[in-house]
Amino acid sequence: MNIVRNERNRYILFKIIHEGYLSLEHSDILKSIWKSIWRFFGMKEANKIGLWVIEIDLENEFGLIRCAHQTKEIIITALSLITEINGNKIILSPVKTSGTIKSIKNYIIFKKT
Amino acid sequence: MPYFESRLRLNLENFEEIKNKFAICEKLGIKNVIVEPVGDLKNNGVELREKIESLTKMHLYYRISLRPRNIDDLKSKLNINNKLPTILSIETPIKEIQIQAAKDSRVDVISFADPKTMKTLTTGVISLSKQNNSYIEISLASMMVVNKAQQSKNFRELYRIIHLVKNLKGNLLISGNFEDSYHLRHPRALISICHTLLGLSIIEAKQSFNENVKKLIERTLDRYDRNIIEYGIKFIKGGE
Repeated sequence: MNIVRNERNRYILFKIIHEGYLSLEHSDILKSIWKSIWRFFGMKEANKIGLWVIEIDLENEFGLIRCAHQTKEIIITALSLITEINGNKIILSPVKTSGTIKSIKNYIIFKKT
Repeated sequence: MPYFESRLRLNLENFEEIKNKFAICEKLGIKNVIVEPVGDLKNNGVELREKIESLTKMHLYYRISLRPRNIDDLKSKLNINNKLPTILSIETPIKEIQIQAAKDSRVDVISFADPKTMKTLTTGVISLSKQNNSYIEISLASMMVVNKAQQSKNFRELYRIIHLVKNLKGNLLISGNFEDSYHLRHPRALISICHTLLGLSIIEAKQSFNENVKKLIERTLDRYDRNIIEYGIKFIKGGE
């Protein structure tokens, strides 16, 4: 008997490093992530990703996104290949990945303290 | 697991830029960097290294890149005696020099940083470098080009060269070598790029950013160790 397992998620925490004052909205970051996915992976991979933005904190310079566990490396690549958003030089650098949101939230609290 | 950024060029005439690069590396969480001072190297001694090291808490290692014009030029440049541990790399599009460099045990790295030089890599150089335990270095800087057509060509060249070295089981070293501070990326992110876009397995990519770099640094330090005569032969207890 084949056991059909639910797709598992991965939560990716990334740092936002930018030059000078950053005037961006959450949607700009989401759009640029999708743009990067489309540019480097196309439809074949884009339909597997299941990208969801959970939190983007421009004040504390981090973001948290969710994706399917099989596409973790694709998301890390797409984030890494973003060099600018709306003319602002930016680095979206993945810091930590986790299978549960709880552990990643704990990590954020630990880093803040 | 500590990963290495194997090539970070530092312009010695602009210490503000160096500070900025180090600050971004620290923000990215990079812990080990091999720096390549560029510019006036007359004072490339202890003082300069102390000055550079005072700017950061990262572990720094040093390298120099030689760009010889012909084989005689290569031989004369290799005769320069560097008293401090320095990784020696050769970067040239001329095949004869690449082969001579691969045969020479003083050369640690044969670098193929820009796409034009990448096209000149041959199987002979890979095989010779393997025999000499030296490394073939490939830089990912060319993938950050904005022009899509050029970027795709650069990716193709990177893919071809990486698989050439991989199939011949050569010693592969992958570095960032980014010129712009905002193009710098953490080696773990570069591993993902190598895996997803350049067809390396995660283990192979990690090897190029970690184990191979460690071996390269050990090899360089061994060369400066008086107790080590040559590869595999060492005086124990300082030769007493």
